[in-house]
Amino acid sequence: MSKEVVITGMGLISSLGLSLEENWENIVAGKSGVKEITHFDAGTLATRVAAEVPPAFDELSRNLIKKRAASQMTRVTRMCITAAKIAVTDAGIDFNLLDRARCGVVMGVVNTGNSSSEKDTTIQNTVFKSMTNSMPAWISLEYQLQGPSFSVNTACASSAYAIAFGYEMIKSGQADVVIVGGADSIINFEEIQGFNALYALSVANDPPEKASKPFSLDRDGFVIGEGAGVLVLEGKEHAIARNTAIYAEIAGCGLTSEGYNIMAPMKDGEGMAKTLELALKNAGIKKDEVGYINAHGTSTELNDRYETMAIRQVFGDGARQIPVSSSKSMLGHTIGAAGAIEAIITALALKNGILPPTINYDHPDPDLDLDYVPNKSRKSDFNVALTNSFGFGGHNATLVLKKYRD
Amino acid sequence: MAPITDKIRNEVKEIVYSFFADECEVDLASINSNTSIINDLDGDSLMFLELIEIFKKKYQLDIELKVIGKYAVKHPVATIGQLIDMQLLIIEHENRLLEIDQ
Repeated sequence: MSKEVVITGMGLISSLGLSLEENWENIVAGKSGVKEITHFDAGTLATRVAAEVPPAFDELSRNLIKKRAASQMTRVTRMCITAAKIAVTDAGIDFNLLDRARCGVVMGVVNTGNSSSEKDTTIQNTVFKSMTNSMPAWISLEYQLQGPSFSVNTACASSAYAIAFGYEMIKSGQADVVIVGGADSIINFEEIQGFNALYALSVANDPPEKASKPFSLDRDGFVIGEGAGVLVLEGKEHAIARNTAIYAEIAGCGLTSEGYNIMAPMKDGEGMAKTLELALKNAGIKKDEVGYINAHGTSTELNDRYETMAIRQVFGDGARQIPVSSSKSMLGHTIGAAGAIEAIITALALKNGILPPTINYDHPDPDLDLDYVPNKSRKSDFNVALTNSFGFGGHNATLVLKKYRD
Repeated sequence: MAPITDKIRNEVKEIVYSFFADECEVDLASINSNTSIINDLDGDSLMFLELIEIFKKKYQLDIELKVIGKYAVKHPVATIGQLIDMQLLIIEHENRLLEIDQ
């Protein structure tokens, strides 16, 4: 029997905070987490800014992860496990009371961040730190979960795919609880040099907080961010039986592959539009029900142009009535973590009735004419939201979230 | 092959106790020879390998891991006391460890 799937716990670590509350407060205030890079000397690179997680994260993770286990994890993996522990605590789950064989983990993992920035790697720990299944494995180990536990890599759409797989596992009756999400950091010399070579990153270094400007005329590429987002998904009846709070419902998803280009999105946003259409169909949602779209909104020339075209294609004349905003204007692009982080922001937007803004929207692009919630958040009581994630290689995901009502 | 003196015996014990207290975040005084590595300390098999590396460097041992592996299969280690005894045998016999059983 098909089940309704709800979000009962969330953990968010980003450049704007180490808790849900701190992140949400800063997002609603339209703050930027982008600063000069401190992880390494970026002086010789074209891009010298990024959205780094605050140093206080180290103490937080030390309090939540045993030293022995932490020594076998990269900083990115520690971000994931820390966010997972926060999410599970938030959900109020006692796994001793559940059938652990029906509790799973799906994480979006592009890489574990075992780069030159990871200075304390020992020979014995190298393999564990590099294993791309390490994040789901450590979460399953932490709670002795015996349901399916795996990672999925679809580049920048990875953790949106993880949410989609977790959703499907519960909906189809394969699991009662699935911990989903992702973590990422590519703030290291090699990755930034590589993305600079693709002209994908902003080089507007001064001032850093103005570098990420999705949908603006002067956008010049994305800004790398880092962080982790983890959600606890469970069947609605299961959550009600536990008498736990519910943030929002996952109503459906659309997953597609463009089969077009390793980097560029399909012309005119055709692939993106198909993904949006599929998600709406999958969720059984009418177009006029959509009250907000959390855009992929990278601040690159092509993504923002094509995503806008895709929204226009799908919603027609109604497109301009739908608020569309980019969290990446504040948090940078957190790559494998982006889909989960933005799903969390979308869930909070639904629950709190507040649209998060697109900051640095100072010079509108005349070709891009949607309501991008410019610079300031605003109140809006809406029932359905979409969140888009599009990855290099043509991996597209759109998640559909609905306001939960008792 | 090195004879085991009281000095070496004490050094090995001190290193093993400190290693587990530090890695497993437990009070040094709570560890004794009967302490179970898995059940009491939540330790892992990798710790055994890390200790071998420590002792290989400290005593400049000539021993291959596969030799230790073959010996450990026949003589599994569960407690801190058993682990110290095995480390002492490794230091004493090095690559001739398997000859103990012959």
